[in-house]
Amino acid sequence: MNKINSINIVGLRGIKENLSLNLNQKSILFYGDNGSGKSSITDAFEWFYYDRVGHLVSEEIGATKGKGALRNLFLQESDDAFIKLEFNKPELASQKTINDALKISQTNNSNEFKEFIEKSQTENLILRYTFLQKFIIASKKEKLDELQKIIGFNEVGNIRDILRKNAGRIARNIKSNNYENKKSVQQSTLIENFGHNITSPEQFYEAANNLIKPLKLKIEIKNYKNINEVLKEIESKEDIETVKKINLFNKISENFSEVVGNIDKINSEYSSYYKAAEELRKEKEKIEKLQLLNLLIEGQKLLKSEIIKEDVCPLCQQDKNKKELIIELNARIEKLEELRKEKENVEQKSKDLQQIVQVNLNSLNSLESEKLLNTKDFELEYKQIKKLIASLEKYISELKKNFLAEIEIENSSVLAINKSDYEIIANSSKNKSKELIEAQKKNPKLQIHTKLSLAKQAYGQYNRIVKEEGFLRKQQHTFEALFADFIKRQEEALNVFLEMFSEEINDYYTTMNPNERIENIRLVPLKDTNDDLVGITIEYDFYNETKSPPIAYLSESHINCLGLSFYLASVKAFNKENRFFILDDIISSFDRPHRTRFARLLTSKFNEYQILLFTHEKEFYELISSEVKSKGWLLQDLHWNNANGTVLKTQLVDYKSQIEEKFKNRDTNDLGNLIRKYLERQLKIIANEIEAKVSFRFNEINEKRMAPELLDSVQGKLKASGELKTLADIPKIQAMPMLLGNTTSHDNQFQESIEDLKVMWEDVKKLIHCFFCNDCNKFVSVKYYDTVEKKIRCGCGKLKYDWKT
Amino acid sequence: MDKKIKSGKEVIDEFFSEIYNVENIDEKTVESLISLYSEGKFTDKNIQNKLDELLQEELTPKQKKDE
Repeated sequence: MNKINSINIVGLRGIKENLSLNLNQKSILFYGDNGSGKSSITDAFEWFYYDRVGHLVSEEIGATKGKGALRNLFLQESDDAFIKLEFNKPELASQKTINDALKISQTNNSNEFKEFIEKSQTENLILRYTFLQKFIIASKKEKLDELQKIIGFNEVGNIRDILRKNAGRIARNIKSNNYENKKSVQQSTLIENFGHNITSPEQFYEAANNLIKPLKLKIEIKNYKNINEVLKEIESKEDIETVKKINLFNKISENFSEVVGNIDKINSEYSSYYKAAEELRKEKEKIEKLQLLNLLIEGQKLLKSEIIKEDVCPLCQQDKNKKELIIELNARIEKLEELRKEKENVEQKSKDLQQIVQVNLNSLNSLESEKLLNTKDFELEYKQIKKLIASLEKYISELKKNFLAEIEIENSSVLAINKSDYEIIANSSKNKSKELIEAQKKNPKLQIHTKLSLAKQAYGQYNRIVKEEGFLRKQQHTFEALFADFIKRQEEALNVFLEMFSEEINDYYTTMNPNERIENIRLVPLKDTNDDLVGITIEYDFYNETKSPPIAYLSESHINCLGLSFYLASVKAFNKENRFFILDDIISSFDRPHRTRFARLLTSKFNEYQILLFTHEKEFYELISSEVKSKGWLLQDLHWNNANGTVLKTQLVDYKSQIEEKFKNRDTNDLGNLIRKYLERQLKIIANEIEAKVSFRFNEINEKRMAPELLDSVQGKLKASGELKTLADIPKIQAMPMLLGNTTSHDNQFQESIEDLKVMWEDVKKLIHCFFCNDCNKFVSVKYYDTVEKKIRCGCGKLKYDWKT
Repeated sequence: MDKKIKSGKEVIDEFFSEIYNVENIDEKTVESLISLYSEGKFTDKNIQNKLDELLQEELTPKQKKDE
């Protein structure tokens, strides 16, 4: 996995001149005021990896993915802007350049590099403050989408939808064809002509042989070919007109029977659709709100895209907390989504019914095109066909209407088709066909030809219907089985992920918030009534009671901790190519205890990662610089000037390094003050570790305790250890001149020589070394109290002192 | 924790590689689905066309034979 060896940036965002950093795969803490160019470095990284800068896209030039705003404004036309990164793998080094015409080039065009970038684009390399709460305040569906996106489950969702859609489509197709009805119509023709129903070819041949027996033909029907031979032998060209009429009456009877078999279903399903549509239409207020849905979704997108930076409602321009506004919008959208589902269900009912009606219309339209229908013999039937087509078309026309529009849809009682009207036609056509056959008594050949021909056609149709239905059912079962299997796999994979991911989040969160009653933080999948996964929610136990969502119960700092925990868990789970990540000014809303624990979390649980941590808060920088430096981090100060843009400033190292640098240069300016500050910082830790009591003060004031007070308190506590009390010799320190002031006298008047200060510095170091072990990098602490030996010690036990409790 | 977690692609690939173990499936349909997936054409429209094609294949030759 890759770590960064060096960074060179020229002409990107706020950086004009070359900004060059040799990291040698080490983590780095950047400090810089707002506007010093910290985010310019992050933007350059984002562009290098993702070919875009997210926060510039919507804000500036969408079409160029923010590239138009990438180049530093003061660059000459002929100057290229670039970022060059070198990694521990030298073959991945590349310089990405953008010229004045916004033409982009990479120096590394190897396939290995292209593959590296492509894979890196799925990783979470950068976290900015603005995205810290994104996941926590997202709606349950957005949480699911976000998680699915980072584990590459989008495609899983697509395939699941395709399998489900096809299973549903085939099931609807089977339903709209009403195969049982179709089969029964064909069987009825077979009964009419053979005297009984037919379910196998053998039965069919036997019935056909019985039918042709009176003709005493030499052919025995054993297969379909024989049937055709028989029909050919007994056909008579003179009777062709009669045969046509018989066939048409029969066809009319069959088609009407089929449609009649579906009329009850069409009437009742329209009635159910009508009721559901009317229910929704009655809820005018609800429907009006539904029309707001798109506006709310757009508003939500707008707020999340950072176009609106202030706490103001983008519509009414009233002051409104942005985070609260997003949460409010999420809740309204989720509610309206339920309403939208209700609407979609009604629309689906309409589509399903249209499909059923259309199948019947198609068969009637085909019947209507028969030329013979225009003759006098078929006057009544033709009229009824037209009437039935008009009735079905009326259904289609009503179903196509927007049921929520002002114009009302037709009541089901008005559209209902009277089945008996058409049953009469189905029966009368059959009777007419029969009568025509019966009229040919003197012509048994014609009678038998007609019956055999109709039966053959009906059996052929019957077989086709059976095959079609069987095949579609097989396909339906296939898709249903595949869908069930796929869902099982998806759920298993997602549950494993959620379980392990939750463990990590919980671990990071509780590390930053120890001894609080929030436990067992977990991501929980949510399903709808159809058992479909519709979202993810965050739950946790608070005093053994399950609470959700966090936003309702947790403070800003705690929510930020949760957001950060989520990000860090995703880094561990999914960053496979890169072993570094960037945290851009994310601690702004963390309170002091969270900041310290956050730094310790990074150095303890992410020590194998290279971290680029940016802050604009000097207090935070000072608070953690010693800690991270002791773990091998680099420290870097950034600032901005007109001539060069962002530049590296001489490093604002920790107090100890600054003091030693001053001794090296024999620079006494502010040296005494630095020693005092260093002493205060160390004393705070010592007082904490040995539980030296100081008087109560509120948070911020508590942090401003001065050396004399801390020294008194530590000295008081050392009554517990005569050995340590002698060794530390606190009274000697208490007599130092730089401690004879107050918090505002950092530039106090005494002017020691460099030699005096050296002595003082040695005494301070000696004091600290009584409490701090260089081997284990830990202070002597009561938490390491040995109850047998009655001693306190450092982490490894090298420093050990008697201790009376 | 990353050892046990499957990516989306792994879930899909495993599904297609073990698809014949699913009971009560039509092999011809499944064969077509695998082929569409491997060609990167696993879309609703393509599947619908393929299923219609299979239905016609199923009906047409037998229909000729029957007649």
